[in-house]
Amino acid sequence: MLENINATRMQLLQLRRRVALATRGHRLLSEKRDEISRQLIRIARLIQPLRQRVEEKLLDTFRRFMLARASMEPENVKAALQVPTKKFTLAIELANIMNVKVPKMTKEIEGDIICYGFATTSGEMDVALLSLEKAFDDLIELAEKEKQARLLAVELQMTRRRVNVLEHIVIPDIQETIKYIFGKLAEVERDNISRLMKIADMIRS
Amino acid sequence: MTELTEQIVLNFNKFPSIGAENWEYAFACAQVRALEIGMLTRPMLLDMINAENFQTAVDILSSTEYAFGPAKEFDELEPILQTKRTEIRKLFKELIVEQPIVELISAREDFANLRLALRRKLTDKPIGTDYNNDGSIPAERFEQTFEEEDYSTLPLYLRQAIENAVLAYYQNKDVRQIDYAIDKLQAQHNLDLAIQLNSTFLLELCRMQIDLNNIRTMLRLKFRESDQRDLFIEGGYISTVTLRHGLDIGYEAIVPLFFSTPYYEIMEIGVTYLTSNKSFLKLEQHCEDHLMEFLKTTSQITAGHQPVVAYLLRKENEIRKIRLILTAKKNNLDARLILDRLGD
Repeated sequence: MLENINATRMQLLQLRRRVALATRGHRLLSEKRDEISRQLIRIARLIQPLRQRVEEKLLDTFRRFMLARASMEPENVKAALQVPTKKFTLAIELANIMNVKVPKMTKEIEGDIICYGFATTSGEMDVALLSLEKAFDDLIELAEKEKQARLLAVELQMTRRRVNVLEHIVIPDIQETIKYIFGKLAEVERDNISRLMKIADMIRS
Repeated sequence: MTELTEQIVLNFNKFPSIGAENWEYAFACAQVRALEIGMLTRPMLLDMINAENFQTAVDILSSTEYAFGPAKEFDELEPILQTKRTEIRKLFKELIVEQPIVELISAREDFANLRLALRRKLTDKPIGTDYNNDGSIPAERFEQTFEEEDYSTLPLYLRQAIENAVLAYYQNKDVRQIDYAIDKLQAQHNLDLAIQLNSTFLLELCRMQIDLNNIRTMLRLKFRESDQRDLFIEGGYISTVTLRHGLDIGYEAIVPLFFSTPYYEIMEIGVTYLTSNKSFLKLEQHCEDHLMEFLKTTSQITAGHQPVVAYLLRKENEIRKIRLILTAKKNNLDARLILDRLGD
């Protein structure tokens, strides 16, 4: 029950308005929670195969790059990869999912990823870099989806906490207080009636 | 039995001539032949490849000149490998009587330094101090020359390379043009020097290297579906017309194109592996093996610069192999993959 409450009719009306508002808020927040859960499950289902694909691609890239680097002379590796020719720009926009601002990434890639000559470099380096280039799209999509999932998960946790607070604390407390005030007011009413009846009896006698 | 299988079988039809003997190198050759005994054997490399883990692979080397001691990270071994390489290059310089041969071999490091310096200079990056000191021009002088932009102190071939590379770069400000220009000039410089030295072996070696580079370039361009056609280096046995033609036809038609060349086997295995695995491992392995087999033919002669040059190149190759195996072991790569690169 709420503390420091005056058992007045005005307070009762106020509390009734509050409980109506809390119930409406609870319903809306429950709907939001359900929708966020649905979105989160949808994104999680997308993330799982995407992550697996990205990991496979990156592992392959890493393996090939390692072999290429080990079979080349260190100074040739340094010279080959010193100045990259590929330019990569990543723009981040914010989209709105259930009032959660999630990032939407757009990439702009220009230039060739192979930035060296052929005589002193390994063909496996080409394969590694081309494989990395192919992994970019999935990698960015994965980063976007994982960030979305993380933000939605935080929002879901917050919403769930709000729903629980409304459902188990705020609404029952207000309802109990309403019941208390109602009881108090009824008691006062009964007091008044009995007092009036007593006065009427005294006048009559 | 092992010794018997390891004996060199010379293939006179496959490899070109290596030239005549030169008795000025009698001592050098004797020393090199003695040192060759200490080189890592194939079973030892296979043991390293099949070792349980990185540490076991390192331990296998403990009875050789590459005894690293207890090492936990590969980064600790890389400086040791580089020191070994420098020592071998130093020994080579001591053993070679004719200075132009030293210049020809050292030019590789000069060109590598030049690539790095030009890339940095032309893209307005700091010149840096991390240049290789094994070339004919000391690293410090190289840095100073590029800092002061006074190229007059450099040898003619490097000045020419700088001029070509800068002109190529400013055509469309593409850093790759620097490498293409330097690669071509380096090959030309090597050929010119080999002709000037009147060394059949060096000339054949340079031509073979050009051919193998061109073959790799052709397949790499084809793999990337690139439309560049002027990246082949002139001076090899295989004409650039054939190589350009190779870019226009399918993978299945490329191999017969090389039927009459010594590179047929390389192409057959390399192309098959490339199309099925999307990898150049086998091609590179066979190119390297072809070159090493040619270097082994220097055992035909008793004395000459050929065995000394061959020793240097084989030793450098051995260091690369160790680096490759240890890197792969450190990163738990499949032994099959290492064998694909180094051969079964």
